[in-house]
Amino acid sequence: MSQLQARFFTEDKRYVVDNVPFSIPAASQVQDLSNVINKLLEAKNASHSNLEFDFLVRGQFLRTSLSTHMETENISTVMILTGSYDKTARIWSVEGKAVMTVAGHADAVKDVSWGKRDGLSSVLLTASLDQTVLLWEWNSEKNKVKARHCCRGHTGSVDTVSVDPTGTKFCSGSWDKMLKIWSAGASDEEEEEEAADRPRKKQKTQQLGLTRTPLMTFSGHNEAVSSVLWSDNEEVCSASWDHTIRLWDAETGSMKSTLTGSKVFNCISYSPLCRRLASGSSDRHVRLWDPRTKDGSLVLLSLTSHTGWVTAVKWAPSHEHQLVSGSLDHLVKLWDTRSCKAPLYDLAAHEDKVFCLDWTETGLMLSGGADNKLYTYKYSACQTDEGA
Amino acid sequence: MKKIGLKRAKEEEDEQKKQSVCEQVLTFNMSPAEEEEGDEDVSDSEESVYSGLEESGSDSEDEPSANQQEGRVLNEEVEQLEERVLNEEEAEQREDEYEKDSSDEEDIRNTVGNVPMDWYKDFPHIGYDLEGRRIYKPIRNKDELDQFLDKMENPEFWRTVCDQQTGSDVVLSEDQLELIKRLQRGQFGDVSFNEYQPSVEFFSREVMIHPVTNRPSDKRSFIPSLTEKDKVSKMVHAIKMGWIKPRRVEDDSRGRYYDLWTNEDSSSILNKHRMHLPAPKLRLPGHEESYNPPPEYLLTEEERALWEQQDPSDRKLPFVPTKFSSLRHVPAFSRFIHERFERCLDLYLCPRQRKLRVNVNPEDLIPKLPKPRDLLPFPTTQSLVYRGHSGLVRSISVSPSGQWLASGSDDGSVRFWEVCSARCVRTVQTGGAVKSVAWNPNPAFCLLAVALDSVVLILAPSLADGHVTSSSERLLKSQQEAEPSEGVSCNWVETKGEELNQWIRLKIGHPKVVHQVTWHSKGDYLASVMPDHSSHLQVLIHQLSRRRSQNPFSRNKGLVQNVSFHPLRPYFFVATQRSVRVYNLLKQQLTKKLQANAKWVSSMAVHPTGDHVICGSYDCRLSWFDLDLSTKPYRMLRHHKKAVRGVAYHRGYPLFASASDDGSVIVCHGTVYSDLLQNPLIVPVKVLRGHVITQDLGVLDVTFHPSQPWLFSSGADGTVRLYT
Repeated sequence: MSQLQARFFTEDKRYVVDNVPFSIPAASQVQDLSNVINKLLEAKNASHSNLEFDFLVRGQFLRTSLSTHMETENISTVMILTGSYDKTARIWSVEGKAVMTVAGHADAVKDVSWGKRDGLSSVLLTASLDQTVLLWEWNSEKNKVKARHCCRGHTGSVDTVSVDPTGTKFCSGSWDKMLKIWSAGASDEEEEEEAADRPRKKQKTQQLGLTRTPLMTFSGHNEAVSSVLWSDNEEVCSASWDHTIRLWDAETGSMKSTLTGSKVFNCISYSPLCRRLASGSSDRHVRLWDPRTKDGSLVLLSLTSHTGWVTAVKWAPSHEHQLVSGSLDHLVKLWDTRSCKAPLYDLAAHEDKVFCLDWTETGLMLSGGADNKLYTYKYSACQTDEGA
Repeated sequence: MKKIGLKRAKEEEDEQKKQSVCEQVLTFNMSPAEEEEGDEDVSDSEESVYSGLEESGSDSEDEPSANQQEGRVLNEEVEQLEERVLNEEEAEQREDEYEKDSSDEEDIRNTVGNVPMDWYKDFPHIGYDLEGRRIYKPIRNKDELDQFLDKMENPEFWRTVCDQQTGSDVVLSEDQLELIKRLQRGQFGDVSFNEYQPSVEFFSREVMIHPVTNRPSDKRSFIPSLTEKDKVSKMVHAIKMGWIKPRRVEDDSRGRYYDLWTNEDSSSILNKHRMHLPAPKLRLPGHEESYNPPPEYLLTEEERALWEQQDPSDRKLPFVPTKFSSLRHVPAFSRFIHERFERCLDLYLCPRQRKLRVNVNPEDLIPKLPKPRDLLPFPTTQSLVYRGHSGLVRSISVSPSGQWLASGSDDGSVRFWEVCSARCVRTVQTGGAVKSVAWNPNPAFCLLAVALDSVVLILAPSLADGHVTSSSERLLKSQQEAEPSEGVSCNWVETKGEELNQWIRLKIGHPKVVHQVTWHSKGDYLASVMPDHSSHLQVLIHQLSRRRSQNPFSRNKGLVQNVSFHPLRPYFFVATQRSVRVYNLLKQQLTKKLQANAKWVSSMAVHPTGDHVICGSYDCRLSWFDLDLSTKPYRMLRHHKKAVRGVAYHRGYPLFASASDDGSVIVCHGTVYSDLLQNPLIVPVKVLRGHVITQDLGVLDVTFHPSQPWLFSSGADGTVRLYT
């Protein structure tokens, strides 16, 4: 969070600046912001003399640096992307405001992913039951979403999609037992527009964009691919209903190793901090694997507390030992792998099956379920904030 | 009588003469010269006879002396000689009674010796006397008459004997007669001899303190014998040198002898004795049988009335306890005969056969089955519940890809569910209670057959790949004009408008209510069942590509419940109420008839190999048929409490399941071996519960996921459940 988009407004006609978003270092203090405004006003009319400005951010005076102020006031720039069975994907703010509805799929959206973020525009990926992956470009300033590409090639519902760490490629896994690698770049850039607060305007996409074909196809699974992820820039990891987790070389397309379990895998997650894979399967257990073992099938740990299928599992992005798991038993559980007997917390917010989970960079946990709700949880405060 | 007895005595005497020399001597004592002599002679001779007897056992040492004496007195008269001899003998007897103890010293008148007298038969003489003169035979011409006269006249005749050596008659004296009588009685000849004189018992059973003889024991009795030592050392040496070999053991290997009792079971003999059964014992009399029972044993009025009303066999007591003031007042036992009779009946009817109680550990009776844990994977827990139907869900079917589940319900809707999320993706309102749904098993098509009322609907859900959708589209469109089907009134109707949006593509009208619909594995043929007792039209086979319907059976035996295509070969299974018939569709003939041993078959499933069939029936049974084995069920499983409604095989895993009205689904492991000799291994592994029993109906249909060991069940509570 080095740069922030900011717009400046004022009632005073004398000090009006252009209503465009500016990129401002997050560590800026009040003095730095005043300098920016003075520079802008000087550029407009040379007679402008330096003034000390005060800044209101959402009705609060800014007294510290921007980043600390946002932290204390719970102002977040993090956007949440969800896909739903109502054939749409939605973008939410952390506070629970529906920012954008992305509609275009002919069938239920099974998985979504953020692509490369480039200034105000960012790439969204939505995988759907209609056997396509749509690549969208969302301009956060204009709050417009545009379907850039329609990735066709799968012959089954696309259940999972994952963007590589560089943001140039993404991988999709489908019910047709295939994994496909696609290019993730949006073809043409749109000019940047001003940032700041987002008007809640629904926008339909005009067209579904150009059809894109896969760069590479990995075949090897005997059953539907349920989850896919990039463990690093060159390695793809996929979990399938054929009871295996396979590691693929994304450059050559060859299979590197296979971890064999005994039950259907619903989800996997990889933590670069502890270099372990966590898998959720249809037998209530969360299992931890070491993907580097060549012979595979070595379960390091089993975390058993759920009473239904584990449908989602996610490692904490900033913590080596924490992971969160969601299950069909309506529960989300936070685990510490150092105490594998029992979870740290049972997060019992959902009234129906939990289908997906994620962490934000700031340590916020998100979970979505069949009760059509998205919940966010904050671990440090030990309490849940209900959203949506 | 007396004479006869004497004659006998004489005869015996003759025998004695022949037997014993002594007795000959006795008779020879009487010389012919002395025959006429008086009693004194007789007494003399008696003396000599006696002495001769006495000396008969003596040694022969004295013979020479006797001969010398005889030689010395050759010339003397016989009587003198005799007298002297007697005198001498008497004198000698006094001196030493053993001195002349000889049998040869008796007075011998005839010197011929011991030769047969027949030799002198033709001679006038009978021998020679001591001096060599002939002894002439007495003039003997006595004939029978003379003898008779003699016998009648001579009073001495009975004691007259003939001396063979001299041929003269001798009249025996009284003493001689007495001697003969004593000998005949077995007594000693000597009257004065006491055979029971007292004697000292040296060798008796009593142990005496002193030895009988004073002779010291030999030295050899207490020192080691040198000769024995010598013998033993020689034998030892011989054994060492191998000259003496141990006695060879007679081996019976050639079987010269056989053991008569080898095969005799010793326990069988023991069993005969063990079979003794003691007679049942009489019950000991209790207080109620006392003449003065305690008052609590006496019957009250009501009890007594009850006792009298009761049947004698129902009575607790065969008599009424009665109280008497004293034992004297007790009357005769009136039930004596009755009781004896009962006792006899007891003895007669008591079982004489020992009932062998089988002491079997109940654990051993359970067949050795592998543990369910070793038979994983199989569905164990309920994972997902598909809620949405408002009526009971009659039928479910999983798409061949395993991604979608279709369920048909009595509320008139067919719902499509996503398997992994339990989300209902589509509800198709059909307008009638759905009896059966079936996905086309061919993965190249995406078609669903739905049976409701008298219509079979073909749905083309747009849930699959475009390629698959178009291929199924082609199948539906391939033959537009409906061929006139022979004698079957089925109208194929293509749907239009709104129903196309509902995915309904074809309607096949049937003359009667359709209960079940099933696909051939190729996906072109479709069979529908219209159970009806009276009609021959119960099963129809439709060909989708040519839009043709045909009735394969001209006659139907029984109410058809269920039909199924063989997964690999052109066979067709028809389950009627009592049996399952297997038809060959190519030859158009009955191949096999399986007897289900059930009253009413409800459901049937065919193993993916086609060699095994399971049938569920309304009388709670599940029967497994091995088509290669028999037409009888290989195994009957009676695990359900209520009617079995649905059965299913898994396509890949060795699993089968049965659903029942008791709300449970039982999953069994059923391994089928390619080896024909090995019977299928059937192990019940899991009972799955979850469905709520509504209107006495539990689980109505059951089906397996095509690739995972997962089980779907639909119930009367309007839910479909997934067990994994």
